[in-house]
Amino acid sequence: MRAASITFISLALTTAVVGNAFYHKKQFYPSVVYITKSNPSMAVIYIQALVVVVLMGKLMQKVFFGQLRAAEFEHLADRSWYAVTETCLAFTLFRDDFAPRFVAQFILLLFLKAFHWLAEDRVDFMERSPIISWLFHFRIISLMCVLSLLDTYFVSHAYHSTVSGGASAQIVFGFEYMILLMIVVNIVIKYVLHTIDLNSDNPWDNKAVILLYTEVVMGMFKVVLYFTFLIIMVRIFTLPLFLFRPMYYTLRSFRKAINDVILSRRAIRNMNTLYPDATPEELSAADNVCIICREEMHSASKKLPCNHIFHTSCLRSWFQRQQTCPTCRLNILRIPSDRNTAPNQPAGAEAQAQPDVPPAPHPGLPNPFMNGVFPGMFPFWQQPFNMQPPNQAAAAPQPGQPGQQQQQPPSASAGPSAGPAAGPAAGPGTMPAPPFPPMPPGFGLPFFCPPFPPAPVPPPFAVPAPMPPPGLATLSEEELSRLESAARDGVAARLQCLQNIQQLLDAAVLLMQQYSNAAATAAAATPVPSFAPTSPSSVPSSSASSPSPSSTSGVDKPSSGLLGAGAVKHDTK
Amino acid sequence: MAGSALRRLMAEYKQLTLNPPEGIIAGPINEENFFEWEALITGPEGTCFEGGVFPAKLVFPSDYPLSPPKMQFTCEMFHPNIYADGRVCISILHAPGDDPMGYESSAERWSPVQSVEKILLSVVSMLAEPNDESGANVDAAKMWREDRAEFNRIAERIVRKTLGLS
Repeated sequence: MRAASITFISLALTTAVVGNAFYHKKQFYPSVVYITKSNPSMAVIYIQALVVVVLMGKLMQKVFFGQLRAAEFEHLADRSWYAVTETCLAFTLFRDDFAPRFVAQFILLLFLKAFHWLAEDRVDFMERSPIISWLFHFRIISLMCVLSLLDTYFVSHAYHSTVSGGASAQIVFGFEYMILLMIVVNIVIKYVLHTIDLNSDNPWDNKAVILLYTEVVMGMFKVVLYFTFLIIMVRIFTLPLFLFRPMYYTLRSFRKAINDVILSRRAIRNMNTLYPDATPEELSAADNVCIICREEMHSASKKLPCNHIFHTSCLRSWFQRQQTCPTCRLNILRIPSDRNTAPNQPAGAEAQAQPDVPPAPHPGLPNPFMNGVFPGMFPFWQQPFNMQPPNQAAAAPQPGQPGQQQQQPPSASAGPSAGPAAGPAAGPGTMPAPPFPPMPPGFGLPFFCPPFPPAPVPPPFAVPAPMPPPGLATLSEEELSRLESAARDGVAARLQCLQNIQQLLDAAVLLMQQYSNAAATAAAATPVPSFAPTSPSSVPSSSASSPSPSSTSGVDKPSSGLLGAGAVKHDTK
Repeated sequence: MAGSALRRLMAEYKQLTLNPPEGIIAGPINEENFFEWEALITGPEGTCFEGGVFPAKLVFPSDYPLSPPKMQFTCEMFHPNIYADGRVCISILHAPGDDPMGYESSAERWSPVQSVEKILLSVVSMLAEPNDESGANVDAAKMWREDRAEFNRIAERIVRKTLGLS
């Protein structure tokens, strides 16, 4: 109604102006001159031109889009508002060129921009409507052709005028139309993807991924364009203020696109490596409906550690946002390491029972040597069991095992320690506090330890061997639940345990250095050719966890070498 | 084949028309656009909202069901968990990580397992038992806590209004 009245008023005004000019001048040419000379008349003519442009826009919109949806209209209004503000900013930059022709070019640019935005919204709408008619396809295709032709024409026009006439505001237009051309390409890609998807009989799982990559590539082109333009503008004119808002949004969406791609890749990788495909039996056992898309699962479905089954593609897009099971919200990133240990570890049941809490020393148990002279050393002897959190055992579960068994005969023959004998029977996790327990399988040390008599440690390590704490298996239910509690003492106990582990590792490194020093002196004193090279390599193997074959084969020799080292030290004393 | 969001919304619509839960009607406003729904919720019995029929609008994002829809009552509402403009503030409508009130645990947030039906049922139970600790509408929360009689009076007026009685 309002639009109609405005149109009518402007038409009436124009008629009045033109009629007035003819009435005074009687001829065509003088009346044109009269109108162009008179400012009020020109204002009316300009308003009329604007109205004509808007009417043209309405006509084009009717032809290419039909009725606009409410959301599209809102979107258009928002964006136009910003675009008008930026155009005004751009005018300030080119105030020397300010002329009707220049303004007309900017209005034309705005006009075309609006159609690009509408086309974007319309193509996005393809995903939302079940009814896509032939008219829709025809409209989109023809609109894309028109827009791309216009954009190309204006880009080339700007290019030629810049080349022939030097730098001017045409640079801005050329650049703006380049961006618009980019948008057209993006819309076309999306349109093609949606169309292929609509016409295929099966869901197209990779479409989302392709769209992600399209977004990244187009975002990159846009960012490059914006920066090039920024540099050119700064060098030729001045800082283009009107550019900053779109540039900021482009950068932000580019960052988001990259982030999405990274998250999506991570989700895909996790799914491919960590979770098994669901078997048909499992599918039929469950109710066979993917809870994310509410459709039946026939193929390409994955089973999470919590036994919930989903489509692979649904899970991918969900994991891109959140790393939890959609049904039970189990944090899937924390589970895998525990899962993998389960088959390999004898104490798998125990490890699964408390997957997050590392086995902690009993908080009530006093740690008499913790404040001792050589704190780094003590936990090593004190809490060897605690060195078996599931993760470490998982790192090298199998190679360690034979090594440990190999170590038994020499240590048994060495005599006094009863611990290693109990070791294989009870398994490393559940062992009940032997006086000289074997190291966890991953540890490099056990190959050197057993031959030592436990109580009188050689001089360099002359500290009384403390009593190891009782095995966790012997803790009562109450004590275990206290260890797991979220209350302060439970947390403190767990923190203490982590500290112990760190000290343990430090001690191990220290010990290995001392061993290797001793071994080096021993090797110098009594040349044992096979031992010398293994000792340095076993230093890192105390923290990394796979014992090299040479060190297992050298079980006997290093012991004699070390004993020899001890003897040498005694001698030198 | 249509997009997954569209297919899921169509499946939910079908489900809701075949087995409508008591006191709830919901469906797309226009079958050309499945991402905007209208719902009618009847006030739960035995509460101050009993007998009212409350219209609401649901707007779904294009990545539904990965992101939650937005829900807004289109009639006047006076309730601690409904903003003055009708927007509903309940935890299952919030994606994990966005917590306008700062107290919701992630266990009660949106996940793809939720559905339109569950949302509407939650809204019904929210009407029955307001959570006056989350102040989407602070005035309503305060009145609910301190002056229940006045709250009931306002609720009754709104119920009559939705029925076109006054």
